[in-house]
This record gives sequence, C-alpha cells and structure tokens, in this order.
Amino acid sequence: MLEEIIKAYNEAVFETDKEAAFEVVRAALERGVTPEDIVFGVVIPAVEEMMSIITRDPDANLAQHFMTAQIAAEVTEQMLARFRSPPQIIGRVVIGTAQGDLHSLGKRIVSGCLKALMVEVIDLGVNVPPEKFIEAALAHDAQVIAVSAMMVHTATGDNGALQVRKLLQARGLEKNIKLIVGGAPYRYDTTLYQSVGADAWAADGVNAGRVIVDLIKEVKAS
Amino acid sequence: MTPLQILAAAIEGKPAPRIPVFCNLLDQGPQELGLQARDYYQSGEHIATAQLRLRARYGYDNVWGLSYVGKEAEFLGCRKVLYSEEGPPNVEDLVIKSHRDIEKLEIPDDITAHPAWTETARCLRILRDEVGATHPICAYITASNTLPALLMGIEAWMNLLLSGPAEVRDLLLTKCSDFVHKQLAAYRAAGANVLIYSSPFGSASLLGMKRFQALALPWMIRDLAPGGPQNIVYYCGMAPFNSVIAEVIDELGVTLHYISPLDDLGQAKRIIDQRGLTCGVIDDIKMIRWSPEETRAEVRRLCEIGMRGGRFLLGSGLVPLKVPEANIRAMVDAAFEFGFYR
Repeated sequence: MLEEIIKAYNEAVFETDKEAAFEVVRAALERGVTPEDIVFGVVIPAVEEMMSIITRDPDANLAQHFMTAQIAAEVTEQMLARFRSPPQIIGRVVIGTAQGDLHSLGKRIVSGCLKALMVEVIDLGVNVPPEKFIEAALAHDAQVIAVSAMMVHTATGDNGALQVRKLLQARGLEKNIKLIVGGAPYRYDTTLYQSVGADAWAADGVNAGRVIVDLIKEVKAS
Repeated sequence: MTPLQILAAAIEGKPAPRIPVFCNLLDQGPQELGLQARDYYQSGEHIATAQLRLRARYGYDNVWGLSYVGKEAEFLGCRKVLYSEEGPPNVEDLVIKSHRDIEKLEIPDDITAHPAWTETARCLRILRDEVGATHPICAYITASNTLPALLMGIEAWMNLLLSGPAEVRDLLLTKCSDFVHKQLAAYRAAGANVLIYSSPFGSASLLGMKRFQALALPWMIRDLAPGGPQNIVYYCGMAPFNSVIAEVIDELGVTLHYISPLDDLGQAKRIIDQRGLTCGVIDDIKMIRWSPEETRAEVRRLCEIGMRGGRFLLGSGLVPLKVPEANIRAMVDAAFEFGFYR
C-alpha cells in the first residue's frame, strides 16, 4: 500500500500540485497509515527522489524546487503534530541571506527540505550581519551555518560568507561549525564557494538539504 | 560604419566589418565619478556621464539609460531602496505586502509625468545628444511576469503564481502589463533604440514548459502587442532559455536573443539561425577570477561558435564591480580582434 501512496505523492510533487499531494496524505491517513510512516516512508523518500530527478533532469525547474520544499515542510509540520512521541532531530542549521541581500526564495526552499529531513532550522531572515550568524549558531548549538546570496556582491563581499569564515576562524569554531553557501552567483562559477571560504555549496535548494545533512554528520562524527 | 549601423547590419543579416560588442557597466558608475552610491543613482546626469566615460575608455558599442535593475518599483510606490558601495541597489520596501495591496496598486497614467521618470529622461536626453546618432542606447524593461517579484518579493510572487488565487494573480499581471506598455512607449519616445525585455519568468528553467506556455507566454504577448517586437531583445536575467526561443520567435515575433552563459550557444544559434540576432554572453562572474588570457580565450571561443553565418553580437551580463579592469579590457579587445569578418 505504501508503494502506491509514494507513487501518487511523488507524481503530485513532480507536477507541483500541492492540493493533490495533500489529498494523497489525507487519503493515506484515512486508510490507517501512521503520521510517522507518512513522514519517514513518503515525504523524506519523495524529497530524496526529487534531489535525484533535479540532478539528472535538465528540464527540472525552480517551480518544482519551490513546491517540493513547500509541500514537504507543510506535510511534515502537520504530521509532527500527530506523532506519538517527538522525533529525533538530525541536527541544527542556522540559515539567512547575507548582509545587503533581501532575496529569500533560496533560503525558503532549503529550509523547507531541511524541516522534512528532520533538521531543526533557525531562520535569521534576510540582510543578516555576519556576527549574527555566529551568535545564533552558538546559542542554538548548530552544526552548520548556511548563507544564501543572490547577488554577486553579497555572495563575494566582505559582509557575507567571507566574514563568517573569518569569525569562525578567529573564534576557533571551524571544527564544530561548517559553512555552506548557495545562490545564483555560485551556479555561474562553481568554484566560487571556495574563494569565499565555504566548506560546501549546492546548485539548488533541494540538493542543499542533502549537502547540509552530510555536513551535520561530519561535525557529529568529528 | 558607426556602432549603430553595425548593430543594424547584424540584426538584418547584412555585411559589416565586425560584430557589435556590448559591455554592460552599470555598477561601475559610482566609482567612475567618485561618488557614493546613494548620490550617484539619484542623478540622471551622473549616470549618463559615467556611461559615456566608461564607453569611451573601453571602446565597446553601447550605453545604458538605466540607473539600476528594480528602478521600476519606484514608479509603483517603492519608498525605500537599499544602497551598497559594493554592488547594485536593492528594492527594500515591497510595494505589495498583501493581496489587498494588489487591488490598490495604481499604474500612473503618464509615467513621463512621474518624478521617477525625470532623471531617467535627463539621462536619456544627454545620451541621445552625445551619441544617439552613432551608438546603441539601451533601456531595461521588466516583463509583466517578472515585475511582481520586484513589487512583492520573489517568494510571495511564486506562491501567488503557482497557487493562486487566479483572479488576484491575473489582476496583478494585467496592471504590470499595462505598466510595460507605458514604459516601452516612453523609452522609445525618449530615444532608446535597444529595449532589453527582461523576463526571467519567461524561461522554462523557472516555471517548466507547461507553465511557461500557460502563465508566461500569454502575458508577454500582451506586453508587446501595442508597440510590436521592434528593437526588443529577449533576456531572461542570465537564466537559461534555449528551450523557449522557438516559441518566443513564433508567438512574440522577437528575434533578438541575449543568451544565458549557462546555455549552449551553438544550440541557440541553430535555433535562431537566420531568423534573428544571437547574442553570445560571456560569464562575467567567472571574469572575477579569470586572467585576461582566460577572458580572451573565452571571447574567442564564443566568437568562433557565434559568428558562423553572421547575425551575431558578443556581450556581457551586468558586469560585477569585482571584475578587474584588465579583464574588461581583455574582453572588449578580444571581441574586436576575433569579431572581425574576414
């Protein structure tokens, strides 16, 4: 039965049909599928499937990324409220857009996927000073700082990821907190992330979820 | 031949000694005049002066009657802009914060009477007087499918576009399309002769093909209906759009295409063929770290692909401020060297 539900849910997500996805979930609950199975057996595999599709399908588009994240986050939030016991989170990430940058879409997509992947997200919003990323990461014991930047000067400037890296270095936090960047400029130059001192980058918001989970595991293993 | 004649020849597929070369230096203006960004962007005279100086220094063909991308939001009620000394301004005050604001959104009857037009008009007047007879003067018009992102933020716009309500979405698109009509007419009357029609949502890489056809194409047809496709350059904000070029030519009649560096230029050239002008665009984000030799090699590669059969222009995106002067010079010099027809 779960296979059939997964197939219907994946189709709805791929077609960016939010209503259809919620209908699949509602029908599954009615048939006795538990909220835990919906999240771990349907939503998370669907996010992982979309990661794979987006990577290999040249026609994958931003609308699919956006709706994948939004549907996953909303379904997960609704199901978590019905869990018998709170699920174990994988880790925590502090996310925000670089100072001077007011674009929130990429961050929103990443956050949605992370929530579905059982990562706690501390969203600092847009136009975030570098110091604030560090303070929040320490306050919440986060393993990853994610800095989103949609403009070249906010992606490469002194008030973005570059300064976050300097602060991590200066405070001896590099082993405990990893830095990931994302946003359009990094797609045009796929080595740019290294020049701003990031540990990693992702080409799209959905796959950023997987990269961040890997970074969290790396920190926890060290 | 003047640069304007060379551009006309490239568009029409007529003989010319070389390709047109566009280099878009907007962020460099404040530094060129030694001004703070806030002061620079508020004066049309400053913008025109910087455009003329930068063009004279590097020798490329075009100048811009644009202060910054997002300026259109000022016409529609934006009261706060975030300035930076490192890059372009950002729209900080979103005009549309709720669906109710869409009903209240007013499109000025005569945008040339709007205070936001005064400095744009001054800039265009100076450019027209100085180089209007010889050089292309570019204007930037955001398509109705993309303008809402400047007014309400891209996230809220994606939500409305993908999840409705449809009547609210269509009301906003209608108002934005009406604004596009007025802008196109005003820019044409003021002497702009290259109209960059910026339509990131007119790319399948943002919406997918089905939604492109349902949600983007009809509104673009509406945008361009009154004035026609004359001098319109299709541009998707550097997003790839090869997959929609054929439909844009067939449905909009737009034959000038400013290709994304992420697209395959050879494929674009084959699709457009002799129907219009293919503009090969260098990846100017890579130019931040490239050497002049690497920049030159890339220009050579683009020219070799694009010049076969003529009807080719070489251009940049909006060159980031961090691109070294030596690379801008290398790009322009190489375009003149490899862009000659023998």
